Amino acid sequence: MSTDELAEPTDGLGPWREYLCRACGLIYNEGEGDPDGGLAPGTRFDDIPDDWVCPICGVSKGDFEPYERPSAPAVAASQTGISKADVGIVIIGAGLAGWATARALRELDPERPITIVTACPGHVYNKPEISRALSRKASPDALQRATGPDEAARLGIRLVAHTHVVGLSAQFRRLRTTRGTIPFTHVVLALGAHATMPAGLNPHHSWRINSLDAWRAFHTNLGTAPRRIAIVGGGMIGCELAEDFARAGHAVQLIGLGMVPLDTLVPVEAGERLLAGLRRADVDYFGGQTVTSSAREADGTVSLTLADGRALVADRVVAATGLAIDTRFLKNAGVDVSPVGISVDASDLSTNIAGIYGLGDCVAIDGAPCRFIEPIPKQAEIIARDIVGLDHGGYRHRAPIIRLKSVETPLTIEGPPHAKGEWRVIAQSPETLEMERWDGERCVARLTA
Amino acid sequence: MADTTQSGAAPLTECSVPGGMNVHAASLERIADLARHELAPRAADIDAGHYPRELLAQFGAEGAFGFHLGSGNSDFASAITAMTSVSRACGASGFLTWCHDVYGLYLDHSENRGLAERRLPDHVAARSFGGTALSNPMKALAGIEPMILRAKPAQGGYVVSGTLPWISHIREGQYCAAIAKVEGGRDDHEIFFHLPIDERVGLTKCPKFSGMEGTSTWGIALKDFFVPEEDMIADPARPFIARVRARFILLQMGMGLGVVRGSIDDMEGVEDQLGHVNQFLDDRPDAMLAEYDDLFARTMTLAGREDTTSPTFFMDVLDLRAEVSELSLRAAQSALLHQGARGYLMASAPQRRVREAHFVAIVTPAIKHLRWQMAKLSTEIQPAEAAA
Repeated sequence: MSTDELAEPTDGLGPWREYLCRACGLIYNEGEGDPDGGLAPGTRFDDIPDDWVCPICGVSKGDFEPYERPSAPAVAASQTGISKADVGIVIIGAGLAGWATARALRELDPERPITIVTACPGHVYNKPEISRALSRKASPDALQRATGPDEAARLGIRLVAHTHVVGLSAQFRRLRTTRGTIPFTHVVLALGAHATMPAGLNPHHSWRINSLDAWRAFHTNLGTAPRRIAIVGGGMIGCELAEDFARAGHAVQLIGLGMVPLDTLVPVEAGERLLAGLRRADVDYFGGQTVTSSAREADGTVSLTLADGRALVADRVVAATGLAIDTRFLKNAGVDVSPVGISVDASDLSTNIAGIYGLGDCVAIDGAPCRFIEPIPKQAEIIARDIVGLDHGGYRHRAPIIRLKSVETPLTIEGPPHAKGEWRVIAQSPETLEMERWDGERCVARLTA
Repeated sequence: MADTTQSGAAPLTECSVPGGMNVHAASLERIADLARHELAPRAADIDAGHYPRELLAQFGAEGAFGFHLGSGNSDFASAITAMTSVSRACGASGFLTWCHDVYGLYLDHSENRGLAERRLPDHVAARSFGGTALSNPMKALAGIEPMILRAKPAQGGYVVSGTLPWISHIREGQYCAAIAKVEGGRDDHEIFFHLPIDERVGLTKCPKFSGMEGTSTWGIALKDFFVPEEDMIADPARPFIARVRARFILLQMGMGLGVVRGSIDDMEGVEDQLGHVNQFLDDRPDAMLAEYDDLFARTMTLAGREDTTSPTFFMDVLDLRAEVSELSLRAAQSALLHQGARGYLMASAPQRRVREAHFVAIVTPAIKHLRWQMAKLSTEIQPAEAAA
C-alpha cells in the first residue's frame, strides 16, 4: 500500500499520518481510511469515532499509536555487502520475530554484522492480517510492507533468503545452510512454527496458510470465482479463515474436533456463541469430526471422508490443525527442545547453549508456547540488549490478550486460555457474554464474546 | 613424497564405538597398520595410475570390506573407521574401498539370495572386485538428471542399452551394480542388477583426470546386454534404493574423514621445522583436529542409529556428508599452506590431498547436490497448481 497514489490532504493539517495497532500491527493510514469500517479515505485519526474498531483484530482506537514509517537507511548502503568472513549475529527466520530482532539489534549497534537466514523470501508483512485479507480485498502485495532486500538494505544487514538451516555447531560457532556454512558469534532462533498435517489429509491436496508466501500461492490458486472451501481445524486460525472466506463469498465447510469451535480454549458457552456467529456468516460447521481420508477427483475437486462416514466435496482444502517446530537440527546441536518448543530461560530468552537465543512461535517459556505476536517486540528487545551487553532488567512473560479476529463474534481472552476449569458467567445478553475462570479464590482468566 | 608423517599418529580404532569396546578393534588396528606401512608409500603411484588390487586384497583379508554387512553385525561404524584409515593414507584407495563396500551393501540387502550366495563371499574377502555405477541413477532418482541406461523386458530377464561415462573399480573380469529405466512401463519402474564386465561390455578409456588415476575408471557401453533374472539385485529398484541410499552416502564419510585426517598429519609433520611461521596460518592442526574429532564422533553416532530409512536420518546424513566435503577442502588447502614450497611439489602428499579433497566434494553426491536435496526435503509441500 503506497501512500504515493493517495490524494494530497487539503485540510491544512499536514501530510497524512499513520497509526499502528499495538495489538495486531495493522497500520491505519489517514489517506486510505477504512472504507469497510465506514471511514472514508482522508479520515483523520482524531476524527475516527470511538466505536470504530481495528478491522483486523477488533481493538478500539485507543489501542493505536502514531507510526513513523522508517525512511532513511539506518546504515550506509556500502555496509550492506557483508562478506561471509564478517562473523556476527545470525538470526534464523524472517517473520515478525526475525525482523523485530534485526531492528532492535541495529538500533543498539549500528555496525555489528547481522545476517538473517530464512527459508522464505524474507519480505516484511504482518501475519495476523492474512486472517482477514480475503474479505478486506487486500491482495498479497498489499500485505507486503517492504521487500526483504529493501528492508535488509535499510537496516544494513545481510539477508540470505530461500535458504534452509540444516545444522548448527555450538562448539565451532558455525551454522550450516543449504547455501553454505556461516560462522557466527550469536544465533537468534526466530524459526516460527509450521502448520501440521493430520494423518487423513494429503499435503498435495491441502493448503496450509502460515506465511505470506503460502498465502500468495493460495490466493493465486483460488482465483476470483466463488469456491467450496473446506477448512480442517476448529481453532483460532480455522475460525478466522472460515469467517473471512465466507464473508468474501465462498461456501465454507469448517471441520472441527470439538462439538463447538475453540473447544480447548474457551468454555462451551462461548463456543456456542462462536458457532452461532459462524452460522450467521453461512459457515457450515462439522463438529466432533476428523478427516479420515482425502482424494483428488478427476475434475480437480477434493473429496473428504469424515470420521462419521460423511463425505464432503470441496474445490480447495485448507488445513489449520495446529503448529509444530522442526527440531532436528536443534536436537543435533544439543539445544534443549521440548515437544512444544525450544526451551528458553524466562528471564533472558537464552537457550541452554551460551550465545543462542530464541523468541516468538518457536520457543516455550516455562514449558508453554506462546504463539501470539504481542510479546515479540519486547522479546526482541531483551535479546538485543543481552547480546550487546546492556542492562534489560529481565524479561517478564505475561499471557497476551488474545483476540479472535471475527466480525460476527469478536472474542477476547485475558489470562491463559483453557476451556477446563471453573468458568463463571458474569454477564450474558443476546449481544454479549462475559465469563471468568476462577482458581480457588483467584480470577485467572476473563473472556468476552 | 610418501606419507611418512603418519607413522606416529594415534590409531583410529579408539573411538570407533562410543562408550564401548569394539569387537572389531583388533581388525581395525591391523587395517590402520597396513594403511600406514604398506599403502601410504604407494599413494603417489596410485594417484598416478596404479590400480592397487593387491593392496585391496590385503585389506579384504583383514575384513575391511565386511564390517557393515550382516555377517559383520552391520557395524557401519567400523566400516567407516576402516575406510578412514585407508583414505588417510591414500584418497584413491579410500574411494575404491567405498566402491567395494557399497557393492557388498547391495547384495547384502538383496532378496535375491542366490546372487548374494554366489558372489558375496569372494567379494567381501576381496578375491573378486567390483564397484557401483549409481552416480547417474542416484542423481536421476533425486530429479537432477535423466536416467541413462534403458531396459526392455525379454524372455527370462531384460536387455539393457546405454553408455555410462565414468565407472570406477571395474575392468574386464570384474563387475559392478547398475540401474536401468524400464522402457514402456510405468514411469517409476527401474531395475537394479549385477553387471559382469565381460566381452559384451564396451570399455572405453576415460580422459586423463587430474588425480586418483588408479581407480580403474572406465566408460561402459551396453548394447542389448542381456540381464538374466538370477543377476537381478532388485526389481523394482526404487523401494530398494530408498532402503539403502542413506547408508550409501553415510559410508562415504570414511573417504572424506580420511582426507581430513591425512591433511592434519601433513600439517603436524612440519610443525617442528615450520611451526614458528605456521602459527600465523588459519586452520591450524589443533583446530582442525578438534573439528575432525567432532565430525568423526558424530559420524560414529549416526552409523550406530537404527532409523536408517527415516527422513530425519537421511537429512542428518546429507548434512554430515556436505560438512565432510567442506572440511576436506579446508584441511587439504591448509595442509598445503603449512608445508609451503614442499607442499607445492607435484609428488607431495598435500598436493595430492588437495585433489582428493576436491574429489570428495564433487563425487556424487557433490556439495551442490547435497544442498539441492536438503533444500528440496526442507521445502513445505503445498498443492500444485490445481485445476481451476
